[in-house]
Amino acid sequence: MKSFLALLLAFALGLGGGLVYAWAVNPVSYTDTSPASLRDDFRADYLTLIAVAYDAGGDLPRARARLAQFAYAEPGPILAALAQQRLGQGWPESQARALARLAADLAGPASVASAPASPPAVAGTATPTRTATPVPSPAPTRTPTSTPGAPFRLLAQDPVCVPDLGQALLQVEVVDAAGQPVAGSEVRVVWDTGQDHFFTGLKPDLGIGYGDFTLTPGVTYSVQLVDSDQPVTGLTAGECLAEDGTRYPGSWLLRFQQPAR
Amino acid sequence: MKPIVRLLAALLVGAAMGLIYGWVVQPVRYVDTAPGSLRADYRTDYVLMVAQAYTAEQDLLTAQVRLASLGPQPPADLVTAALTYAVDHGFTRADLETLNQLAVALRNAAPPAEIQAP
Repeated sequence: MKSFLALLLAFALGLGGGLVYAWAVNPVSYTDTSPASLRDDFRADYLTLIAVAYDAGGDLPRARARLAQFAYAEPGPILAALAQQRLGQGWPESQARALARLAADLAGPASVASAPASPPAVAGTATPTRTATPVPSPAPTRTPTSTPGAPFRLLAQDPVCVPDLGQALLQVEVVDAAGQPVAGSEVRVVWDTGQDHFFTGLKPDLGIGYGDFTLTPGVTYSVQLVDSDQPVTGLTAGECLAEDGTRYPGSWLLRFQQPAR
Repeated sequence: MKPIVRLLAALLVGAAMGLIYGWVVQPVRYVDTAPGSLRADYRTDYVLMVAQAYTAEQDLLTAQVRLASLGPQPPADLVTAALTYAVDHGFTRADLETLNQLAVALRNAAPPAEIQAP
């Protein structure tokens, strides 16, 4: 019995020593990690950097390849949420705009008026092997009918009564001269005691040219698309009447369009 | 078998099992890593993204902050290492030029002012 206990003790000591060596003295070393293992804040920075680099070069295939490292099924909504989060945390607007633009462009054939033409690129990213196969860059999506720099015009200002919204919203839709939605348009909202802003394209599921802002009942707002010279003033949350006679907050939908050349 | 040998054998078996458990079954997991631990190709791509962003933003300070995530090395050294990797692995001329622009900007940047001793 005594001998058995001694054996057991020796085994436990050995086991403990082995674990201490494996976990503390010489643990498995991960020096060649992938972006997928990054801590949340570093991951957010990395995703933002992908968006900023895309915003600079307009190379969507490369941005997709970089995002593929994270194995997101749908990276668009994640980028859109990150854009909103960064905007709320006071990061530079350019980052939120870049994230919104990439989220929108990932959602489909976007009309991005500011998309620069990118030269053919090599998919030399995220792989240790030489990949010298040229990837033809997508053709610039700038439409010939759009007028770069021309101020957007207010096309329509309509009250919206949708009970499912649950709150009064300022909804904005921005389209270019060809009627294609435009992501990344900044909308400024000003009221008596404050101001705020938001961008289109942060909710790609509702359309890449769409953006919204929650209105507080009783407050009067002035709204201006940054790329427009037409402010919309005197906007207040409305009131709608449901079929059962109950009242619920009413919203506004503003549609802006860039004039044709 | 002598008792001491049996004890030693039990100790060794225990240690071996501990190592197997610690290294194979349940190794230390690094899930919250920093960019500094990225593999060379990812590091190079990270630096390339910083350079691409710099090309558009022309904000050297922001580029330096982004590069600082990769480790304590001087930013110019990080970009030089990325350039070397990019050359060795056949990155496009455009990528090389983008990296080179950042490298040149970093080399030409004024060194941070030293704090004078009282």
